[in-house]
Amino acid sequence: MRPRQKLSAFGTLMRRFSPILTLPIVGCAGIQSTLEPAGEEARLVAILLWVMTGAGAVIWLGVVALLLYATGRRRKVHGERESARLILWGGAVFPAVALVLLLAYALWLMPGLRPFVQPADDAMRIEVTGKQFWWDVIYHLPEGGSVASANEIRLPVGERVELELKSSDVIHSFWIPALGGKMDMIPGRTNRLSLLAIKPGIFRAPCAEYCGTSHALMAFSAVAMEPDGFRQWLTERTQPSATVAEAGSALFLRHGCGACHTVAGTGAAGKVGPDLSHVGSRETIGAGILANTEENIARFIAEPDRIKPNSHMPPFDMLPEDDIRAIAAWLKGLQ
Amino acid sequence: MVIRIKPKHLITGLAALPFAAVLFAWSGIFDVSASSGHWKITEWFLHFAMRSSVRTHALAVKAPDELPRHALKPAAGHFARGCAICHGAPGEPRSPAALRILPPPPDLAGIVDEWTDPQLFQIVKHGVKYTGMPAWPTQERDDEVWAMVAFLRELPGLDAERYRELAYGDAEPALGRAYGFEEALAECSRCHGRDGQAGGESVPVLAGQSETYLLASLSAYLEGSRPSGIMEIPARAVEPEFLPELARHFAAQPRIVPARTEDDSALHRRGETIARNGISQTRVPACLECHGRTERNPLYPNIAGQHENYIAGQLELFRDGMRGGTRYNHLMRNAAKNLTDGDIEALAAYFSRLQAPPENETP
Repeated sequence: MRPRQKLSAFGTLMRRFSPILTLPIVGCAGIQSTLEPAGEEARLVAILLWVMTGAGAVIWLGVVALLLYATGRRRKVHGERESARLILWGGAVFPAVALVLLLAYALWLMPGLRPFVQPADDAMRIEVTGKQFWWDVIYHLPEGGSVASANEIRLPVGERVELELKSSDVIHSFWIPALGGKMDMIPGRTNRLSLLAIKPGIFRAPCAEYCGTSHALMAFSAVAMEPDGFRQWLTERTQPSATVAEAGSALFLRHGCGACHTVAGTGAAGKVGPDLSHVGSRETIGAGILANTEENIARFIAEPDRIKPNSHMPPFDMLPEDDIRAIAAWLKGLQ
Repeated sequence: MVIRIKPKHLITGLAALPFAAVLFAWSGIFDVSASSGHWKITEWFLHFAMRSSVRTHALAVKAPDELPRHALKPAAGHFARGCAICHGAPGEPRSPAALRILPPPPDLAGIVDEWTDPQLFQIVKHGVKYTGMPAWPTQERDDEVWAMVAFLRELPGLDAERYRELAYGDAEPALGRAYGFEEALAECSRCHGRDGQAGGESVPVLAGQSETYLLASLSAYLEGSRPSGIMEIPARAVEPEFLPELARHFAAQPRIVPARTEDDSALHRRGETIARNGISQTRVPACLECHGRTERNPLYPNIAGQHENYIAGQLELFRDGMRGGTRYNHLMRNAAKNLTDGDIEALAAYFSRLQAPPENETP
């Protein structure tokens, strides 16, 4: 009777704590989730997860059943020959076959082994460079030319894109949980990653390798768009923003922001900080940490060191407050 | 009767000694007047202690490969303002008042050879206790102290005429407080020249500088937010009401950048590239975006045509985090943080040959 008593105690425990046990899984839902895949790579990984979990559960149940059977009260003891056969099939053949199958499936999912990930010659190439603590993004257009952006990556749904991953300072790691990855960005190397978005949406992508004080404040938004919308968006980005000539631009230049930042159409061509040509249209500012509002832009100009400790932008809180507001309004207007 | 000294008497005597010393000091019998001089043995011992201390502490001082002889001019100006009053100068013997200081300040021309460069540095930077020799006004500008050491090395060979030329330039020698504008201007022009075109390689050209920047920098010297042993003294000697006028005076002078050849050297071209584009790998911003625009923030100085050594020296100070300044100076410390010696040399070569960009003062 002892095993049965133990089982019922375990069952009570499970019933009581199951809500808590499911919490970690609930936490994975949403814009930064591998369990709600929106990309081909993430979908395959999610399937792998479920297959592995399912197979693992079946095996675990089998083992537990055998354990219960073995500890149960029996009149008849198995013969030596029977036992040997059980050990051979249950202990060697079955695990070997099951593990080989699972391993083969997992290996087959590895991007480097699959033939279909080789992008077509005319595929969109996106160069992403990790920097402390933001992302430099360059779209290399198939027809030639390029579009610079930062801290946001847009992809067409249903079209494979090739990502060239680099770093200019320390090791970062590129990961869009909902679409696929991750892959390290290593100084002096170009790593290639191929992604195929299968569902439109906006996803969050955190830096996945500790890279310094503000590592946890380094993320970007990945936006999967319908191909037509994406083409139109990209074409718009080849031109300066329509509002680029407005009053704020003079202040932006006057205070020397162009020494580090580029804004197409103003002559500011700095290469130290993020390209701000169309910054107003991005999902976030400060590399995935603040909502893109005028107020937050003004805050970031004044005290980037507080919002993002050890970031390389110096604080500009000594500028006249009106100037900060005007520059923030102008930047927000750069759609 | 025989008095036997037991250990207990000895201990009691030792314990009473501090009280006896305090009692003696309190009584006022001891004569601290300078007129009474020292006993020979006291004088010998004090000098012995001082020389030994300087010798030992100077062991930790690392001298530069070469003394900054290009900075003789500001060092001479500072010598005239701060040191000559006690130590005298070529053509200016020590005053009888100074000679009654105890110990009397030495005539430096005769004794600098007794010290090594690091030892002179140690004395000039830190001063000497109990002698009246003050420390350098700021402890953050070793470059200025080395300039003074370079000047002290020149001192034995200076005649009165050459000394006057170095120390006073085209201005009258003046000591004390500048009560009028002309005296205030003389405070500046001793080193910078009346026209602000400077008189040495490590003195900045003030002519054609932004008025707002000049005033903010003078205030920074005055408030101590731009540490400089040399500049803090004249900035404080001038009546504050004259500071805006001085800024206006120098801003109004035309900046003349002498046309120089060899503009096409590789160094100059590298400097131009950095100034125009910055260095993205090491996060060096493009200098000209702040310093080269016509419509720029007037607190961003005009650095075109400054002396090569001055630009290099300032960039090194910024890089080492020692350069203070206006409320904007952290921008430059950030910008210069990753400059290499080669970058600095190239930038100095480029900006010293750059013709001044047009001035702008629109608010």
